[in-house]
Amino acid sequence: MRRAAWLALGAACFAAPWLVAAVVPGQQRYVLHVLIFTALFAALALSYDLVVGHVGSLSLAHPAFFGTGAYTAAILSTGAGWPFVADVAAAVAAAAVVAAVVGVPLFRLTEHAFAVGTLGLGLVAWIVANNWVEVTRGPLCITGIPKPRLGLPGGPALAVTTLPAHYWLALAALVAVVLLYRGLTTFRLGRAFHAVRDNEPLAGAAGIDPLKYRMLAFTIAAGLAGGVGALYVHYLSVMCPEEMTIALTVNLLVIVFLGGAGSLRGVLLGAVLFTALPEVLRLAPTWRLVIYGGLLLVVVVRSPGGLEGLLRRAPGAAR
Amino acid sequence: MPLLEIRGLEKHFLGVTAVDRVDLDVEAGELVSLIGPNGSGKTTLFNCVTGYLAADAGAVRFRGRDVTNAPPHRVARLGIGRTFQQVSVFPRLTALENLLVFLQQHQEERLLARLVRARAVRRLEAEAVERAHRLLDLVGLRAKADAPAGSLSYGQRKLLAFAAALMPDPELLLLDEPAAAVNPTMINQMKEHILALHRQGKTVLLVEHNMDVVMDISRRIVVLDHGQKIAEGPPEAIRRDPRVIEAYFGR
Repeated sequence: MRRAAWLALGAACFAAPWLVAAVVPGQQRYVLHVLIFTALFAALALSYDLVVGHVGSLSLAHPAFFGTGAYTAAILSTGAGWPFVADVAAAVAAAAVVAAVVGVPLFRLTEHAFAVGTLGLGLVAWIVANNWVEVTRGPLCITGIPKPRLGLPGGPALAVTTLPAHYWLALAALVAVVLLYRGLTTFRLGRAFHAVRDNEPLAGAAGIDPLKYRMLAFTIAAGLAGGVGALYVHYLSVMCPEEMTIALTVNLLVIVFLGGAGSLRGVLLGAVLFTALPEVLRLAPTWRLVIYGGLLLVVVVRSPGGLEGLLRRAPGAAR
Repeated sequence: MPLLEIRGLEKHFLGVTAVDRVDLDVEAGELVSLIGPNGSGKTTLFNCVTGYLAADAGAVRFRGRDVTNAPPHRVARLGIGRTFQQVSVFPRLTALENLLVFLQQHQEERLLARLVRARAVRRLEAEAVERAHRLLDLVGLRAKADAPAGSLSYGQRKLLAFAAALMPDPELLLLDEPAAAVNPTMINQMKEHILALHRQGKTVLLVEHNMDVVMDISRRIVVLDHGQKIAEGPPEAIRRDPRVIEAYFGR
């Protein structure tokens, strides 16, 4: 039954471009744009949840890794003319390397200090993006980032130019992140992550090296964020420092904590609601932010466990 | 060669000497109790041996191997299990998972094998599940296997923590007040469990305040006061030792 539900959801996601064309013929471009953002944000939020939801470290540095990947892809594809696949791989690697380097000293800090330390890293990354004009062009932004071309250099390549193609690419990335997320957060690895989150001293007595598992989650999460950043700039074809401000952290926190930290279903639901909802609310422009803020408050007050918590408590809920 | 050798162990907190040049040997198969008034340094000694606190001086050897100030996870993997004075479980894992997580780190190390769930890893997991069920039976928590550990009662969590420490079948088990704050029935259960371990040839070092338990089950007792070892011997001798009486009741 659950498998059937997931399959149906998958089929609906895959068929979305046609569904959208059938349901809202005049608005296709806009709706697809929102869906692409939703898929990318969902992937980014899942990567973030590996750290905050599964090993329980409140990192505020995710925009730094997203930005590292985005700038790596932007610079390599425009200045150096790297092919799409190679610059995305480089973006993943660059963000993961940054996380691996800063992670060890950051994880020496305990809870709140760790949060502040990562916040500092996020700010530093943003300042660098703004001021290292020779490389990032600062507030002038890197423009003219080419559309993705799937394939090997020299061989046949599939150009991603249309909106549905961009959507499928984003969806494929989301599926890849979901599979990796599932693999990491269940069974033995997930258990070790959760042990570190629930009770660090006891995890040590169980033979678990907390630092090792925290670093693993932190580095993989950063690599995934870098990859999403690369896809993001290839879609928008422009990268500006504003893409990696604290506002992104706030969005991710809303998605993860109001969706349900540590829950695949909760985070996906959070990403859909909190990316699509502000767009839907554009129908009432004056009250948009008021309604949005009100909804956030309702979820926080009614369900500290997020939407996932609400689902679990719903009568007849299947776990 | 003793299984555990503690030599001249010292630990200071801001000028207060918590553990003062303590020597202690535990032979394989022994059941030794560590007693002393509150604040005499028993738990601090445990924490220094298991890597939770860095000793300021002295050495700890396990099976002749120097483990002084090794991190907790390394000490655990060498075969020293421990429980904590405050009930300590992973609240959001189920009772079963609480046990499984204690064995898996001893079984294999390769992350990729875990990620792809290689056949060998699944077999190890099946073995672990079987052992975990046996231990849940032992402490009477079989019916709670799938309940989150955080939902269990205080006593149940204490039993769960004890069972978890047994999962990797440690050669040496350090128990920090297993009978504290539980009801008399459970105290007797705990006593039986500890004696059963002793009969199986396990080595147990016990910190305990309940004198009935200590006098009843220990073959040897070590007494700490103000961080120093003031007496050591069989229960009858300890009971009559004037230094011990003075430490507990004052002059």
